Amino acid sequence: MIVLSVESSCDETSVSIIKDGTNVLSNVVLSQIDIHKAFGGVVPEIASREHIKGITYVFEEALMKANINKHDIDLVAVTKGPGLIGSLLVGINGAKAFALSNNIPIIGVHHIAGHIYANAIKETFKFPLVCLVVSGGHTELILMKEHFSFEKLGETLDDAVGEAYDKVARTVGLGYPGGPLVDNLAQQGTPTYDMPDISLGDTYDFSFSGIKSHIINTVHNLAQRKEKLNVENLCASFQKTVTDVLLQKSLKAIEEYDAKMFLVAGGVAANKDLRRKITEQIKQVEVIIPDFSYCTDNAAMIGVAGYYQYQKYTLDESMGLSGKSRVELK
Amino acid sequence: MKKLLKRLIIDSATKHLYVSLYKGNQELTSYYKKGNNDHSEKLMPEIKRQLDTSNIQVSDLDEIIIGIGPGSYTGLRIGVVVAKMFGWDQDITVKEVSSLALIASSYDQEGFILPEIDARRGNSFLGLYKNKDNKLLLIEKEELTNLETYKTNLTCEFTVLSEGKPNITKILNSSVLREVKDIHTLTPNYLRKTQAEKSLETNK
Ligand SMILES: [Zn+2]
Repeated sequence: MIVLSVESSCDETSVSIIKDGTNVLSNVVLSQIDIHKAFGGVVPEIASREHIKGITYVFEEALMKANINKHDIDLVAVTKGPGLIGSLLVGINGAKAFALSNNIPIIGVHHIAGHIYANAIKETFKFPLVCLVVSGGHTELILMKEHFSFEKLGETLDDAVGEAYDKVARTVGLGYPGGPLVDNLAQQGTPTYDMPDISLGDTYDFSFSGIKSHIINTVHNLAQRKEKLNVENLCASFQKTVTDVLLQKSLKAIEEYDAKMFLVAGGVAANKDLRRKITEQIKQVEVIIPDFSYCTDNAAMIGVAGYYQYQKYTLDESMGLSGKSRVELK
Repeated sequence: MKKLLKRLIIDSATKHLYVSLYKGNQELTSYYKKGNNDHSEKLMPEIKRQLDTSNIQVSDLDEIIIGIGPGSYTGLRIGVVVAKMFGWDQDITVKEVSSLALIASSYDQEGFILPEIDARRGNSFLGLYKNKDNKLLLIEKEELTNLETYKTNLTCEFTVLSEGKPNITKILNSSVLREVKDIHTLTPNYLRKTQAEKSLETNK
């Protein structure tokens, strides 16, 4: 089965072609990150404008690289949300037009299901499994007892972990996106600064607004006292606290639900400390972390998720399919 | 005998969604209705319905005419991306037309027409057109400004028009269509930079 997939929920325009859910024939990603850097974050209207500029180029390149005949495509899968609505609608309507033009069924895929299923490119899922979803918009622990069944064990009550990284980066005067910048500085520092307890006790929920405010206050107080800030050490302190809590709750969920597999998904899965901690400290189950190229937004993950979704529901959503900026993962 | 072109015409730049199929100068079927921020749900099912009832496939189309704005950005992009995708995928000729010209085409009488599309914050997308011998002419270039200000600068008699079902026969008869040479370059005519770009420029 060949799936053509489209992802445009934020600032990457991406089209991928995948055979039988695992064989990535092409995965073209047109990133707008250099455009949005000038604004210190993603500007939704600019993102939508860039998507419509690039979309047919990306389709063309994906088809060329996959070296298949259009008529061999069995399914079109497109991100239906969550994400920036203007951006989503460009990808969705482009995908619908392509599907109608070639008489192919189409389905809408949840963006987070995509991130989770990026892991299925590498390994066959073994259930039950626990997945830690960490990105600029999400921080969730999800339990899966079978394909396309998602039970949310806990989630962030305020900021997503990636968002907290961006805010810390801004506070200490680094650029955008903050994640990799803070991560790199943290590698050069030692966690010497006091950080608050962000464990929220025994729950699977997360909260990152407290540590973010604490960092802002620390920087502010040091400046007032005219003391020098050690940025590397501050980043290391922040990162240690955050990755500790992610690890600790993941371990607890693996144990409680007797998981056979543990997955990490989302852009923050690229974080070096998090990857190291997880591979070093989760030994009792098989651990899968996507390759760097599949951590950030891409259409391949949507294609893989779409493949499994279609196996389960075989539902052609047809031309009425539309996008939503907020949508529950079910 | 000359082959009659099968044409798909789309405009999603305003609150009204317009879709029609033409064979030569003859309308086969059409849709013109006020939407509720739901062009994304409505456009593709409507295109499919029109193609199905006319027994036409996307690949049978000879030409696509697309309203490229100016207008409401999110709605506008929905029509443009569909036209772009069809044009690219099936190598169909795409011709762009101003969404203001489409509104102006709906006016039956001779004379000056001022089509107006709401751009919020007290502004409108405007352009002065003239209807003469069933032909539409652009008189003053389109711009984004306050309607009342624009009006006071006009010396002629004119009719303001905010909506109206496009008259495609008149559009085909006039010189308001522009063929898209490289389909990859087709984008909406926004007539305005984003707020973020403007702020970045003024802060430089
Ligand atoms: Zn994502």
